[in-house]
Amino acid sequence: MVCGTAGNKQQQREINMSKESQMRAAINQKLIEMGERERLKELLRAKLIECGWRDQLKALCKEVIKEKGIENVTVEDLVAGVTPKGRALVPDSVKKELLQRIRAFLAQHST
Amino acid sequence: MSPAGCSHVNGFKVDNWKQNLRVIYQCFVWSGSAETRKRKCVVEEGGFVPDALKITFKAKSCMCHMCGAHLNRLHSCLHCVFFGCFSKKHIHEHAKNKRHNLAIDLLYGGIYCFVCQDYIYDKDMEQIAKEEQRKAWKLQGIGEKYSMWEPTKRELELLRHNPKRRKITANCTIGLRGLINLGNTCFMNCIVQALTHTPLLRDFFLSDRHKCEMQSNSCLVCEMSQLFQEFYSGHRSPHIPFRLLHLVWTHARHLAGYEQQDAHEFLIAALDVLHRHCKDDNGKKANNPNHCNCIIDQIFTGGLQSDVTCQVCHGVSTTIDPFWDISLDLPGSSTPFWPLSPGSDGSVVNGDSHPSGATTLTDCLRRFTRPEHLGSSAKIKCSGCHSYQESTKQLTMKRLPIVACFHLKRFEHSAKLRRKITTYVSFPLELDMTPFMASSKESRMNGQYQQPVDSLNNDNKYSLFAVVNHQGTLESGHYTTFIRQHKDQWFKCDDAIITKASIKDVLDSEGYLLFYHKQFLEYE
Repeated sequence: MVCGTAGNKQQQREINMSKESQMRAAINQKLIEMGERERLKELLRAKLIECGWRDQLKALCKEVIKEKGIENVTVEDLVAGVTPKGRALVPDSVKKELLQRIRAFLAQHST
Repeated sequence: MSPAGCSHVNGFKVDNWKQNLRVIYQCFVWSGSAETRKRKCVVEEGGFVPDALKITFKAKSCMCHMCGAHLNRLHSCLHCVFFGCFSKKHIHEHAKNKRHNLAIDLLYGGIYCFVCQDYIYDKDMEQIAKEEQRKAWKLQGIGEKYSMWEPTKRELELLRHNPKRRKITANCTIGLRGLINLGNTCFMNCIVQALTHTPLLRDFFLSDRHKCEMQSNSCLVCEMSQLFQEFYSGHRSPHIPFRLLHLVWTHARHLAGYEQQDAHEFLIAALDVLHRHCKDDNGKKANNPNHCNCIIDQIFTGGLQSDVTCQVCHGVSTTIDPFWDISLDLPGSSTPFWPLSPGSDGSVVNGDSHPSGATTLTDCLRRFTRPEHLGSSAKIKCSGCHSYQESTKQLTMKRLPIVACFHLKRFEHSAKLRRKITTYVSFPLELDMTPFMASSKESRMNGQYQQPVDSLNNDNKYSLFAVVNHQGTLESGHYTTFIRQHKDQWFKCDDAIITKASIKDVLDSEGYLLFYHKQFLEYE
């Protein structure tokens, strides 16, 4: 598997993307390079468990599985059945805290 | 969905597929942190990807080849270099056009099969995924991920052969059982109640972790294991612990006989015998008695730091000794309790809000950890001054055990008198040990006098789970225990009689042995 030929394709992609998604991509890149993305993922995971969100989602998943039957249910069934409610159930406090963390990180590492 | 994965992976599992898969995990799913750039290049099994390059891959190339997005559940094709969104079906198009059936989710590492149209769980691939994640997390200093218990083949067999299941509801009384008094054996019964309700100890024994290597029938750990089985059997009739009593008499001669004994002495003797019998399990490793890793040491052993400071050169000599319990002097004993050391101006610590005058557990701990002048008749040889000098000594906690047992010294056996001190000492439900730690003392010495209670540091927070009380006099008395079940239900254990108790009952009781359990446990 050759991994060295990403260069040209990347330029091409950037032209096709909107300004906003370019900025998103740049931020994402910075987060990964500094290892912050993994830390944020862990922080989010811990917060969502703490506030009971994961347990709520587990219950929602169980409902979908009961409906479809355990032998037939696919990951897509679960994703489709649970995503809208799941997103809505994330507490504002958790969203705020993550945003604050990201802002602080960007302020510290702005180029 | 078969646990053996799907057959479509067989086309992928050729040549050096394991190494290729590892590289994908390392570069695109769980790449190490920036710190790894400084490290030497890692040579893996034939493959060779410098760490710095891994970060760059993840950062710069993880975007959809069709629309450039890095979100939308990005997947990477396993057969060629192609990244595509899952939500927008870009990866699906690629799979159809190129007949590449497998893709990997770059967020969680799951493997998707386009033929089965679902994520598949191939044992070999799962193994690689787990190992790579553990490696990456370690590099980033995130620590071990908690993974749920999965039964082994043998355990599945046992579960199928034994279909009876017990459900623990909020009101069930499983774990509660009375103990018959075999003749002044309440000193033993009260400790047994405390031990059978120590969560970690319970978990250890109920999951059959003790593998006995003692030849004879006199292993106390085996008997303990049996005891847990009895307590959690669901039987409500009181248990008769005659075998336990016999073993205790055999291994702790000083407690043998039918006279009344001290519960605290029994606790220490029991822990000692259990510790010794556990050590026989790891007989091969137990060369150093101070570095035992038996369950008793894991749960009960803490480290007590003793600092002796020379008053002349201010040199400090430090020793750390293991301890299973902390014995605290009480006001009213022949050793002076008040005044406490400077700085203890009655500030409220641990929410002790009893009317002034009443002694608290925190008062006792403060007294225990105060600097004590050793006096001119007890000069210590100072290695700095090379002569005998006066010194001060101070005790602090170097390392806290998971279960902390506080022994209030109510029985005075001095030369002049033998009596019981019945002074009321109030103790809290939740206890923060931070002010008594060796590390806090260091900060105090560096000028920060009043340590603000750090609400984010949960390491030193403890919860009360058992209280042993003594009623009566030194010569003749009776022991009972309050134990905690299900977070906030308390029960009083009086030999064979178990009754429901309120938190107020517990906190108003005199208190002789107080058992606290660490609130938050970290995985190593």
